[in-house]
Amino acid sequence: MGPQPYVERYVVQGGVFDAIGEASTQLKSVLKMLGIPSDITRRATVVAYEAEMNLVIHAGGGEITASVFPDRLELFVRDEGPGIPDIPLAMKEGYSTATDEIREMGFGAGMGLPNMKRNSDSLDVRSEVGKGTSLFAVIRFPSDPVQQPVKEG
Amino acid sequence: MSGGVIVQEARCRGCAKCIKSCPTEALRVSEGLVRIIPELCIDCGECVRVCREKAIQLYEDDWQLLRAQKNLVLMADPTFYVQVGAYARPALMKEALQSSGIEDLTEYEAAAYDITAYAIAKLLETESRERLPFISTYCPAVLRLIQINFPELVGRIVPVESPLEIGVLLWKQKTGRDDPVTMAVPCPAKTTLVHAPEGREKSTMSYSISVRRLIRDILAGSPKVTGSLPAQPNRRWLHWSVSGGECRHIQAFSERPLTTISVSGLRNTKDLLTELELGRLSGVDYIECRACDLGCIGGVGTSESRFLSQLRLDSIQFEWTPTDEERLAAASRFESDVWRLEKPFTAKQRIPLAENLKEAMDKLRTMNAIFSELPHIDCGSCGRPSCRALSEDIVRGHGEMTDCIFKLRERIYGLSAEIHSLSGKIPHTFRSQVIHDHEDQRFV
Ligand SMILES: Nc1ncnc2c1ncn2[C@@H]1O[C@H](COP(=O)(O)OP(=O)(O)OP(=O)(O)O)[C@@H](O)[C@H]1O
Ligand code: SF4
Ligand code: SF4
Ligand SMILES: [Mg+2]
Repeated sequence: MGPQPYVERYVVQGGVFDAIGEASTQLKSVLKMLGIPSDITRRATVVAYEAEMNLVIHAGGGEITASVFPDRLELFVRDEGPGIPDIPLAMKEGYSTATDEIREMGFGAGMGLPNMKRNSDSLDVRSEVGKGTSLFAVIRFPSDPVQQPVKEG
Repeated sequence: MSGGVIVQEARCRGCAKCIKSCPTEALRVSEGLVRIIPELCIDCGECVRVCREKAIQLYEDDWQLLRAQKNLVLMADPTFYVQVGAYARPALMKEALQSSGIEDLTEYEAAAYDITAYAIAKLLETESRERLPFISTYCPAVLRLIQINFPELVGRIVPVESPLEIGVLLWKQKTGRDDPVTMAVPCPAKTTLVHAPEGREKSTMSYSISVRRLIRDILAGSPKVTGSLPAQPNRRWLHWSVSGGECRHIQAFSERPLTTISVSGLRNTKDLLTELELGRLSGVDYIECRACDLGCIGGVGTSESRFLSQLRLDSIQFEWTPTDEERLAAASRFESDVWRLEKPFTAKQRIPLAENLKEAMDKLRTMNAIFSELPHIDCGSCGRPSCRALSEDIVRGHGEMTDCIFKLRERIYGLSAEIHSLSGKIPHTFRSQVIHDHEDQRFV
C-alpha cells in the first residue's frame, strides 16, 4: 500500500448553473496551498470544471472526488444520470446533445470531454445507459512536485 | 504590496470593518491594529474606501515639499482631466497648472497613448491566434492579481509599457531634461507604478500624489484660464480612464476588426480571468480589465463622482480615427522600441503550507479539521476575513483556536463548569460528617 492520499469530495447538484465552478475553484485553492505547480493546477482545474458542468447539465448532479498522491492527482467523477450511449462519439470535438436553451447560456459546444482528455494524462470513461456515468482522470506531477514560488523582495 | 496603501496606526481602532472588503484577503486585525499581508495585497484601494477612520490611506509624497520646488514637472493620469466640468479640456487644464507654476507633460501623453495602442495593435496582428487573448498592462492592480492568483495567465500579459512611462520617456528624449517627474495618480496601484514598478527596474517618475489632492490644490488657487492656448493634439487618450477606452483606441490603429472584452470592477475581473484560465475564451484577441468600477474614474484617489466623469467623457467629441500624421508618428516610434517592457512579468504565488508535499498534505488535513470546528459564520471577530482564513493562519503558525470568540466562549464555559463542580467539592476533613448528615436525612 502506498501513502495515504489527501482527499477532497465535492457534491455537485444537478441543474444548478450558479454553482458551476465552485468545486473547481476550491480544488484550485487546495492545490495551490499544497504547492502543486501552476500548470498542473490549471490542467486539474480545467478537468474538474468540465466535469462539474457535465454533472450539472447532463447528469442531474453527482460527485467529484479528488485524491492527491505524492506523484499524481486522481479525479473520480460519478453520477447516476442517464448515461452516455456512445462514448467514442461523445468524446468527439463538437459532439453535443445540449438543448438550444443550454447553448444560449454559452455551454454545449461539445468541447468538454475532449478538453478533459487533453488536460489529463489518462482519462477513462465508463457508462451504462439508465444507470450512470463514471470518469477517472489522472494528472501526473513532475518528479519534484513542490515548486518554490518567488518570494517578495 | 509595495506601499501603495499605508496604515496610520494612531487612527486604527481595530474595528475590523475593512477585512472583508479586501478581494485577496490580505488584511488582518490583531492586537487592535490592522495589518496588511504584503504578498497578498494588490494595491486596489478597496480598504481605503471602507475605512471610516481614515486609518488606511493612499500613500502620497509630501505635496508641500514638492510644491515648494522651483519647477514641478507633472505627469497627470487621464482621470485628472475629467474631474472638473469647466476644465474638461487638457489645454485648459494645462493653463490652470501653468498659472500655479506647474509644468505638465500633456502634449506627450497624446503621442504616448497612440504609441501604446499602435504597438498593441501590431502585436495582435502578428501573434499566432492560439497565444491570444493578450491582457492589458494598464491597471497595475489587475497585473498583481494575475501574478498572485492567476500565474498561468502571466504569459498573456501584453509586453507593452504603460503609456504613462512612455510619455515621460518621450519628454526626456525630446528635451534632454532629467528633472524628477511627479505623477498625479487615481489609485494606490499607480502609486506603486511610480515607486516599485513591475516590468522595469525603475520608473521614469519619482514622486506621486493623488489626483484629488492636485485638483483641490489647483481649484483653491482659483486659476484664471483664457482658453486661448493653441489647439491640443487628439484627446482619445482621455478615454483610457473609462472601461473600454483602451480597446477602442487599439482598434483605431488595427488593420483587422478585433474581438475584445472590457470589464471593470474586481468581481468582473476575477470572473473573467477565471474563465480565461479555464480556456473558455477562445476567439478573443484582447482583454482589458480595470480593478475599479467604470475604470480609473472610479479610482479611490479621484475627487469627482465616477458617474459624472463618465458623463463628461461621453459628451466630448472624440476623433477616433488617427490622422495620417499620427499614424506615421506612432509607426516610426514603434520602430524605436520605446514601448517595449524592460523585463517580463513573473508569477508571485503565495508560499505553500509546507515545503514538501507530504508535510503540506498533513497541514491541510489539520487545517480542515480546525475549520470543521469553527462556526462557519465568518463573523470577522477574530480579525480574519473568514473562518477558513483563520484556520489557514493557525496552521501557518499565525494564530490560535481561541482567537475565535465562539471557541473562546466554549473554553470559558468548560472552565467555569469545572470551577463550578470544583466549588461543590468538600475538603476531605469534613467529608464523612457531611455524608453522615446526608444519609441521616435520607433515612429519617
Ligand atoms: N455525465 C454525463 N451524463 C450523460 N451524458 C453526458 C455526460 N457527460 C457528457 N455527456 C454527453 O456527452 C456529450 C459531450 O459532452 P461534452 O462535455 O464533450 O460536451 P457538452 O457538455 O455537450 O458541451 P460543452 O462541454 O462544450 O459545454 C454531451 O452533450 C452529452 O450528451
Ligand atoms: S489595497 Fe486592496 S488588496 Fe491591498 S489590503 Fe487594501 S483591499 Fe486588500
Ligand atoms: S482601474 Fe485604474 S484607478 Fe483603479 S486600480 Fe486600476 S489603474 Fe488604478
Ligand atoms: Mg460538457
